[in-house]
Amino acid sequence: MRSVKRILHIALNDLKLMVKDKAFFFWTLAFPVFFIVIFGLLYKEGDKAPAVAELTVVNRDQGRWGAYFLDKVKSPGVGLKMADAEPAAYSRLLILPEDFSAKIEARKDQALAFKKREDASSSAAARVETRLYQAIARVLSELVLYGDGDLSKFLDGHPEFRDLVLVKSRFPEKTVTVVPSGFDHSIPGATVQFIMMMVMIYGGITVMEDRKKGVLGRMLFSPLSTAGLFQAKLLGRWLMGLLQAAMLFVVGRVFFHLDLGDVPLSLLVIAVFALAMAALSVFIGSVCAKEDMIIGLSVLLANMFAGLGGCWWPIEIVPPAVRTAGMVSPAYWAMDALHRLRFFQGDFAAIAVNLGVLLTLSIVLAIVAGKAFKIRD
Amino acid sequence: MRRLGLILWNDVRRHLRAPLAIIIYILIPIAMTGLIGLIFTPEKTGGELPPIPVVLVDHDKNLASRLLMGAFDADQMKKMFQVTAADEAEGRRRMAKGKASAMVVIPERFTLDFLELKPVALEVVKNPAQQFLPDVVEEFMATMAVMLSAAVQAFEPEARGIRALLGAPVEAVPWETLGPEFGKAQRKVVAARAYLNPLLLRLAEEKTKAAGAKTSLSRSDIFSIILPGMAIMFLLFIVQTVMRDMIAEREDGKLRRMLTTPLRPGELIGARLLGGWLMGVVILLIMAGFGTLVFRVRWGPFGYFLLLGAVATFWTAAFFALMNALIRNRNQAGSLSAPIILAFSIFGGSMLNPEAMPQAFRTVGVLTPNRWFIDGAALVRDGRFPAFPLLVLAASGLVLLALAVPALRRRATV
Repeated sequence: MRSVKRILHIALNDLKLMVKDKAFFFWTLAFPVFFIVIFGLLYKEGDKAPAVAELTVVNRDQGRWGAYFLDKVKSPGVGLKMADAEPAAYSRLLILPEDFSAKIEARKDQALAFKKREDASSSAAARVETRLYQAIARVLSELVLYGDGDLSKFLDGHPEFRDLVLVKSRFPEKTVTVVPSGFDHSIPGATVQFIMMMVMIYGGITVMEDRKKGVLGRMLFSPLSTAGLFQAKLLGRWLMGLLQAAMLFVVGRVFFHLDLGDVPLSLLVIAVFALAMAALSVFIGSVCAKEDMIIGLSVLLANMFAGLGGCWWPIEIVPPAVRTAGMVSPAYWAMDALHRLRFFQGDFAAIAVNLGVLLTLSIVLAIVAGKAFKIRD
Repeated sequence: MRRLGLILWNDVRRHLRAPLAIIIYILIPIAMTGLIGLIFTPEKTGGELPPIPVVLVDHDKNLASRLLMGAFDADQMKKMFQVTAADEAEGRRRMAKGKASAMVVIPERFTLDFLELKPVALEVVKNPAQQFLPDVVEEFMATMAVMLSAAVQAFEPEARGIRALLGAPVEAVPWETLGPEFGKAQRKVVAARAYLNPLLLRLAEEKTKAAGAKTSLSRSDIFSIILPGMAIMFLLFIVQTVMRDMIAEREDGKLRRMLTTPLRPGELIGARLLGGWLMGVVILLIMAGFGTLVFRVRWGPFGYFLLLGAVATFWTAAFFALMNALIRNRNQAGSLSAPIILAFSIFGGSMLNPEAMPQAFRTVGVLTPNRWFIDGAALVRDGRFPAFPLLVLAASGLVLLALAVPALRRRATV
C-alpha cells in the first residue's frame, strides 16, 4: 500500500512539474485547439457543398432544345448562371453548342463540354454532374417515348417524363440522426494525434533529463525500487495523456458541441491508448540521449501513426492497401473505436477488439520500456 | 577568414559525430511525402477514389432487382463500386467496420410495383462515419432511378405485359398472342438504339485550373507538389537546431572563453550563420536527391531550384540568428521556435494546400518563408525563373540579417 502511495506521489509530482511548464498548455491545449479549428473548418468546407451548387451555362444554341434541356437540369440544389461567353471565373461550366438543337433533331450524337474547376467543391461538382446525367436520361427517355416522329415538332407536344423510381436516404437505425459536423471528426483526430506527440515528447524528454541529471539515481535513495520508479514514471505520463484528453474533450464539448457517443467508453478507449503512448514515451526517453532526437523521433512516429490511423483525413478515401497498413498504427484502433462509439452508438462489445489490441500493445510496450528503463547512462 | 573556416569545420564535425537527430529530421519530410503521395495519388484505374464498397440488400428477389444488381456488375461500375449482396444486419456490421460506405435496400414488391408503373422507392442507408463516399452512392442511385423510370415509361405496355406474365400461372399465358407484342417491343428497341448507341447526348468532361488549363496529376506530380512544402518545414527545424548552438554557447560560457582568443565576435557570428546556411543547403540537397531517386520528383531547372533553396536557407539562418539574439535561454528557444515553425508551416502551405485554405489564412501565409519557397518551387517546376519569390526571400532575409548581426554582437560582448 505504501509502495502504491509512493508511486502515485512521484507520478503526480511529475504531472505537476509538466503542468507548471509555461509551454505545457500551449502544446497540450492551445495548439491542438488551433488544429481542431482549422481542420474542423476544412472538413466542413470539404464535405458540405453549398446549398445550391452553381452551374455556369453558355447557351449558344440556335434552336429551342437548349432551353428545354436546361429546364431539365434545374433543381433546388442546382442553380444555373447564364453567360454569353466562357467566363474567366467559374466553378462548373456547361457549353451548349450552336448546333445543339439541329443535331438532336437530326438524331446525331454530340458531346457537351462540361468543365470543372479543380479547386471548387467536389461535392457540388458531383451534384451538378449527376443532375446533368439525369437530365440527359430524362430527355432520351422522352425521345424514345416520342418514337420516330418529326423531332422539330417535339416541343409542341410530347409525353412528359415521370419520376417513378425514387431514392430515399437515411442513416442506419440507432446511430446518428443528423450529419456529423466537421468538428466531430477533427476533435477525436487531433486528440489522438496530440496525445501521441505530447506524451512522447514531454514524457520522453523528462525521463531522459531525470536520468542525465541523476534525479532517477537520487530517487533510489528512497524506499522505492527500480521497478517502482518505472511504474511511477509510466503512471505520470499516462496521467498527462488523460489530462490532455480531458481538456480537449471539455473544450470540444463547450465550444464545438462535441458528441462522443458513449462518454465513459470513449474515455476508456483514450485511457488505454494513452497507456500505450506512456509506455512508448518511457521507452524513447530510456534509449535516447538527446532532446532533439526525442523530439524528432516523436514527431516522426506521431505524424506517421496519425496519417496512417485516420486522424488527418477520412480513412474512407485511403487506398485499401494503405488502410490495411494503417492497422499497425495504434491511432487506427483508437480512431476506429471512437468512430464506432460516436457514429454507430456502439457499446462495449463493438469496441472490445479495439480495446484488446490497444491493451495488448500497452502491455508489450510496457514490458519493452521496463527492460530499457535505466537509472544511469 | 581562416579562423571562420576553422570554427565552421569544427561545428560540422561536431554535428556529424551525432547525426541521428538530423537524419530523423531528414526522414520525416520524406516519410510524410511518401504517405501523403500514396494516399492522394489518383488510382491507375482512372478514378480518383478507390472502389466504393456497397452492400446490396435485396428484399425483392425478382426481375428488376436482379437487373439493378446486374448494373453494378458492368465493367465501368466495377471500377467504381465493390458490391456485396447481404442482409441488413450484415450491412450494418460492415458499415460499422468501415467495410461498406452505404447499403442499398431494394424493398419487397419492387419489381411488381415497378412494372405496374407505381411509384417505388429505393433506400440508401449511408455510413455515418464516412463523409464523401456515401454521397457518391446516393447520387449514383439517383441517376439509376432516373434511368429505371425512363426505361419503364418507354416500355410501358411491355412492362405491364411482363407484370401480367409474372403473376399468372404458365398455362394461363396466351403464348400465341405474344408474337406481335414482341414485334412492337423490337421496333422500340431499334428506335431506342438510335439514341443510346452511341448516346445522343453525353458529357465531355474536363478538369480545369483558373487559367483553364487541363489538369491530370500523376503520382510523381503529387510528390513534386508535396515535397517542397515538407522540405522547407523541416529545413526550418534543422537550421534552428544548428543555430541554437549560439544560445547554448552563451549559456555554457563557451562564448566568453572563445572571445578570450584572437577571434572577433563578427567572425563567430559569421561562422554560425554560415554553418546554419551550409547545413541547410546540404540537407536540402539530400532531400532533393532522395526525392528525385525515390519519388521521381520533377524539380524543373535544378539550378533555379538550388538558387531558391540557397536563398530560403539564408532567410532561415538569418531569422533564427535574430531570434536567438532576442531570447534569453535554451528553454525559451525550445518553447518558441517549434510553435513559430508550425505556424509558418500551417499558414505557409506546408501542411495544408493553400488553395483549400480560407482567404485570411492565405493572407497571413505571405508573411512566411514557406509560402514563398513553395510558390517559387512551383514556378521552377513549370520551367520559370522564380524572380519574385527570390526577391522577397532575399530582401527580407537581408533585413533580418541587418537586425540580427548588431543584436548578436551586443549579446556576445555583454
